[in-house]
Amino acid sequence: MHALVGENGAGKSTLANVAFGGLHPDAGTIERTGTIGLVHQHFELAERLRVWENVLLGREPCRFWTIDREQAHARVRELATRHGLEVDPDAAVETLPVAVRQRVELLRELERDPTVLLLDEPTATLAPAETEALFTTLTQLAERGIAILIITHKLADVVRFTQRVTVMRAGRIVARMETAQTTLDEIAHAMVGGDLPQVAARTATTPAPYLSFQDLEVRSGEIVGIAGVEGNGQTALFDAIAQIVPDAGIIPQDRQREALVLGWSIADNVALGRQRTRYRRGIVFDRKTARSDAISIIERFDVRPRSVDAPIGTLSGGNQQKIVVGRALEGRPRFVLAYQPTRGIDIGAAAIVQSRLIEARNAGCAILLISFDLDEIFVLADRIAVMYSGRLGPLFPRDSIDRARIGALMTGAT
Amino acid sequence: MTGRWRAAGLAAAIVAGVGSIAMLAAGANPIDGFAQLFGGALGDVDELAETLVQTTALLFPALGVAIAFRAGLFNIGAEGQLVMGGLAAGSIGAVLTLPGYVSIPLLLMAGALAGGGWGAFAGFLRARFAANEVITTLMLNVVATLFASYLVGGPLKSPAATASETAILPHASWLPELVRDTRLTLALPIALLVALGLRYLLDRTVFGYELRAVGEAPEAARRAGIAPGRIAIAALGLSGAIAGMGGATIVLGILHRFNVALSPGYGFIAIAVALVGNCDPIAIVAAAFAFGILQNGALAMQAGAGVPRDIVAVVEGLVIFVLAGRQYLTRTVAR
Repeated sequence: MHALVGENGAGKSTLANVAFGGLHPDAGTIERTGTIGLVHQHFELAERLRVWENVLLGREPCRFWTIDREQAHARVRELATRHGLEVDPDAAVETLPVAVRQRVELLRELERDPTVLLLDEPTATLAPAETEALFTTLTQLAERGIAILIITHKLADVVRFTQRVTVMRAGRIVARMETAQTTLDEIAHAMVGGDLPQVAARTATTPAPYLSFQDLEVRSGEIVGIAGVEGNGQTALFDAIAQIVPDAGIIPQDRQREALVLGWSIADNVALGRQRTRYRRGIVFDRKTARSDAISIIERFDVRPRSVDAPIGTLSGGNQQKIVVGRALEGRPRFVLAYQPTRGIDIGAAAIVQSRLIEARNAGCAILLISFDLDEIFVLADRIAVMYSGRLGPLFPRDSIDRARIGALMTGAT
Repeated sequence: MTGRWRAAGLAAAIVAGVGSIAMLAAGANPIDGFAQLFGGALGDVDELAETLVQTTALLFPALGVAIAFRAGLFNIGAEGQLVMGGLAAGSIGAVLTLPGYVSIPLLLMAGALAGGGWGAFAGFLRARFAANEVITTLMLNVVATLFASYLVGGPLKSPAATASETAILPHASWLPELVRDTRLTLALPIALLVALGLRYLLDRTVFGYELRAVGEAPEAARRAGIAPGRIAIAALGLSGAIAGMGGATIVLGILHRFNVALSPGYGFIAIAVALVGNCDPIAIVAAAFAFGILQNGALAMQAGAGVPRDIVAVVEGLVIFVLAGRQYLTRTVAR
């Protein structure tokens, strides 16, 4: 099992796509023997079709001009048992949880008997136990002679499960290592190309009650982290709280769809949400104030490019997210609601985003953080609750609970 | 030569090439045909004026369609909104005897209100019942046309008229001519002002900001506290108002009465005009002029060069085709 690691924008996914044949290389050659299967970061499944239809798509067994359903079922069942990937062949994909969808995508690729299996960020949305199970499966596949190439951010997984590591930075391979002979720190250094960015320190605050919603209480000067696996009701919680506190600083989950207008400039995006208050002069949209606020966000968050007029769609994900977070914190809101604030952004950008959130907390802001990433929860939160199957568990002070316990609660343990 | 100019050359070559083949096949002389097309549209002051008349008639509904597009809404009801605007201006204008500087603005407003109400109704149906505006605006076209033809066939029919139309408006309510003895009136500068106003509205006002947000990123707009239903009603209302004012200018400037046949489908051609103009008010002015040339020149081509009507339609279709595909053409020649 071989890991390909690097920051966002280092060129990992591009390399994977070139190898897979989805992109044409501008220069250079690809040498490969056999076939490659690719499991995408955002699953490419036909949601409305059933599991067996997805697995066999394009290779359906036929009887004259109809699909031989019996044979199709048998083939998918046999494949699932052989690889220990339990799925119901008749389930509609749209009804399945994330981890099971991933199994379907994996089965679809295995059905094509690949010699190389390429996985792009496969653990991004999995709970710790599900990640464990995935790596068990992958290890078995590797033992059977399939080469596994896994693209990931999570260095702890790399150190635990893989045999070799390749590090990419800015489109180039900068290091090749045997996993057994390296350390997590060494890999991280190679990825960033220097020392790891530090996250701002938290200072002592005197928390005072700010928001209380059923059993959930968020106090000013603290960050409450809601841990949990995606799809356990976090979106409903987020929407409910956004309704209750309309003047909250909001950091939605999907920045491209829910937070930004990609065709617009940075300045116009900074105004979104307060276009009727701060950025209104009579009936006129006050672009001047938006521009000057955008400039200060660009300064504080080190956004590149440093131009308020650049269309935000041309920025990297990390820089887009800096704008979303900067906008939410602009004007020192008393409450900030953040959903996965560092999802899919590189280490440097994540450190900046996390630092600004901690600084806001230090200054007395109440912050509710929803995240699927336990690392992030433990970096940011003062108190932690776990959400499972639509229910919110009790709040634990961070120092009174360990990761293993939280990980267990995330999968429904009591 | 830049890619843009090469693309324009290629587009012209396609129109000239395919158009010539079509004309030859129909037994007409292509050189004569194209000479008539441009001569008939731009040859002298009278012809240019008539081209601008067509430009104006297309400009109003095209601006209306564009504003709806910018809000992410497909308004194919400009035709009906135009008819409602014309109907309001014609029926009220026939009985209104006031000086022109009062009656003309009043009647244009009446047209805008009627068309705007017709558009806003489709917006309301969308906001309240999630009814698809493509269907509702399309259906409301039929309702508008039949409603108008009932009224001018009966209750509103002028006793003096032989056709289904209202009485002739008093002279004072006619839009002043811009060029003597042509049909070109004050409607053109009014349309240009509307285009400028829309540009300002979209780029500079909070309303325009919210409208574009809903059109480009509905989910982000919703999270930013913008009610999509309110924008749908306002955008379709404004869209219909502009088309309705266009209908009123046809009544006040050209027909001087309301007649059910006031539009040969301006509201539908306007969709193509809006798209060719990228839904940008200023670019739409240029697009409307191009379509105006085509509308007016096509008549000359048919009459002057003996090109059959169907072949004229082929040439018109070709021009729209290359205009719509211009981005693709530009990319192709860039390679």
